[in-house]
Amino acid sequence: MVDFIQNCLDGIMLGSSYALLAIGFTLIFGVMRRLNLSYGPSIMVGAFIGTLVYLEFKANAVAIAAATVVGAVIVGIYVERLCFRAIRRGAAVASMVSSFVIWMQLEEIVTVVFPDRTYPFPPLVTADPIELGPLFFKVENIVMFAVAAAMTVLLHWLLQHTRFGLALRAVSENPRAALFMGINVGAVMSLAFVIASAFGGVAAYLIVSADGQITPLFGLWATFKGLIAMMLGGMGSIPGAILGGLLLGVVEAQSIWYLGTEYRDLSAYFLLFLFLVFRPGGLMGQLAVERELAATRRV
Amino acid sequence: MDDIYLIAVLSNIGMISFIALSAYLLLVVGEISFGQQAFFAVSAYGSGIATAMWGWPIWLGLLWGALVAGAAALVVAIPTVRLRGLYFSVATLAFAEMVRLIFEIFTYQVEIEGELVGPDGSDGFRDIRAIYDSNVSDFEYLLIIYGLLSVVLIGFLILERSRLGAIFRMIGEDPLLTEMQGLNVNAYKILAVVMAGVVAGIGGALYAHLATYVEPKIFNVMLGVHALAYGLIGGLGTAVGPLIGVAIDIGLLESIRAISGYRMIVFGGLVAVLLIVRPRGLLDEAAVHWLRGRWRGLVRAEN
Repeated sequence: MVDFIQNCLDGIMLGSSYALLAIGFTLIFGVMRRLNLSYGPSIMVGAFIGTLVYLEFKANAVAIAAATVVGAVIVGIYVERLCFRAIRRGAAVASMVSSFVIWMQLEEIVTVVFPDRTYPFPPLVTADPIELGPLFFKVENIVMFAVAAAMTVLLHWLLQHTRFGLALRAVSENPRAALFMGINVGAVMSLAFVIASAFGGVAAYLIVSADGQITPLFGLWATFKGLIAMMLGGMGSIPGAILGGLLLGVVEAQSIWYLGTEYRDLSAYFLLFLFLVFRPGGLMGQLAVERELAATRRV
Repeated sequence: MDDIYLIAVLSNIGMISFIALSAYLLLVVGEISFGQQAFFAVSAYGSGIATAMWGWPIWLGLLWGALVAGAAALVVAIPTVRLRGLYFSVATLAFAEMVRLIFEIFTYQVEIEGELVGPDGSDGFRDIRAIYDSNVSDFEYLLIIYGLLSVVLIGFLILERSRLGAIFRMIGEDPLLTEMQGLNVNAYKILAVVMAGVVAGIGGALYAHLATYVEPKIFNVMLGVHALAYGLIGGLGTAVGPLIGVAIDIGLLESIRAISGYRMIVFGGLVAVLLIVRPRGLLDEAAVHWLRGRWRGLVRAEN
């Protein structure tokens, strides 16, 4: 029983990093209705820029985090301009494939510039795990969890209590109607992309500093974990992204413990497949999916 | 030496063309699949087991591989056919990754002539020697690949002129309107997924026998997304499109050795720019329509 609870806790801690990734994913998907496969790789580039700052200038944690976020935002803007802004709406497949080739491009640029593949990344905190009775907590995971919670609150405030949030929700609901209301749709989308990239940069910094190292494979990992967490939670729902991330973490932790490491990803994908078949809306998005289905039936 | 290299590159183009055609067929019905590599993998393993372990002749092994891939496609198609858009894409991705991870732990070996033969989890599946045992040269095998590819391509071109092809395109344009014509959209979609699975399967079986060795990590999601990209680069208007995409990627870039280390930087940028100008590829529906018009005009002028 203690094992099970410890696994759940480990899973929630692991899941908080997935939740961090899923938030940025959800924000972009919610507004654009298009999938950005380059999301993981662009924050990976940000993290490599952080590493560069660390190795070249022996900078402190704040400077490294800032470099990571700024790097992620710059690459994010590049992706948005090339893959989303320039390709007209309605060509969702083209955007997605375009973001995929840019992923490949970013990965190769990183391997050319950083030929050693694995680079050190300074840890944010170097504290011993906290013991609470028979249970263990890792400090860096608690930080991650706290940041994920703070980000959710911040996003909620931004979306629900600012004019920008109102415009963003309008664009997400119906871009054309938003345009008629005098909203600058392009600017809103770009800004949403920048915010998502900044959140992604923070996520990348926390995850990579908890690992203590970075490789170009981080991009693939981040894209897929973020995507799975987003789908489990329900597309376009921020609370869903958090719950989806935590669920993914718990399922992975339990399957590592009870089935073995080789079953970790297998059970994650199996869970995703089951969700898609039986509850495609995920934990929080089922209502939207059913509304859409009902609308189709009415037609 | 150069001949060997050329044959290897051409064989590669041929085999990858199958999976590109498979992804293209689903793009025609309006679905994006990230998972065609699963059928490629299932067939590679299935046909390898048939020839190397059960001692079947190679042609039967290829047929068996394609059948197994088709059956696997049917298994995925039935639960996922209701899903639309991104949900379908992610479901195919999840399925393909499940297949790959199952092959990572799948072990099934028998002793043949004192040696263990068969898939051994993440160590892969060695010694699929059927084409070398029956003395098929690399060049002859190249002919087999392109023979089969021509058959499949002709099949696709006939399909495009048939009623079934028209229905597939109609579903891709608007499934709701198709339903209103009294057509069973889900049944046609299942058919399309199974056909795509069989086509990918032929490629996978050919691949396993040429490489003689397969391991699960070959069949990762990169293979599937490349397959998808080929159709979109070459164009979604005709089945020749994906082949052009493959030829551009493997053929052209392989031949320009100067950029070998920076291949994806150049290729990625080119494709991204191409998709801005032509979001449905070089030979999109409009281009194909225009070319057909020109062709008919030429034929008429000669008569």
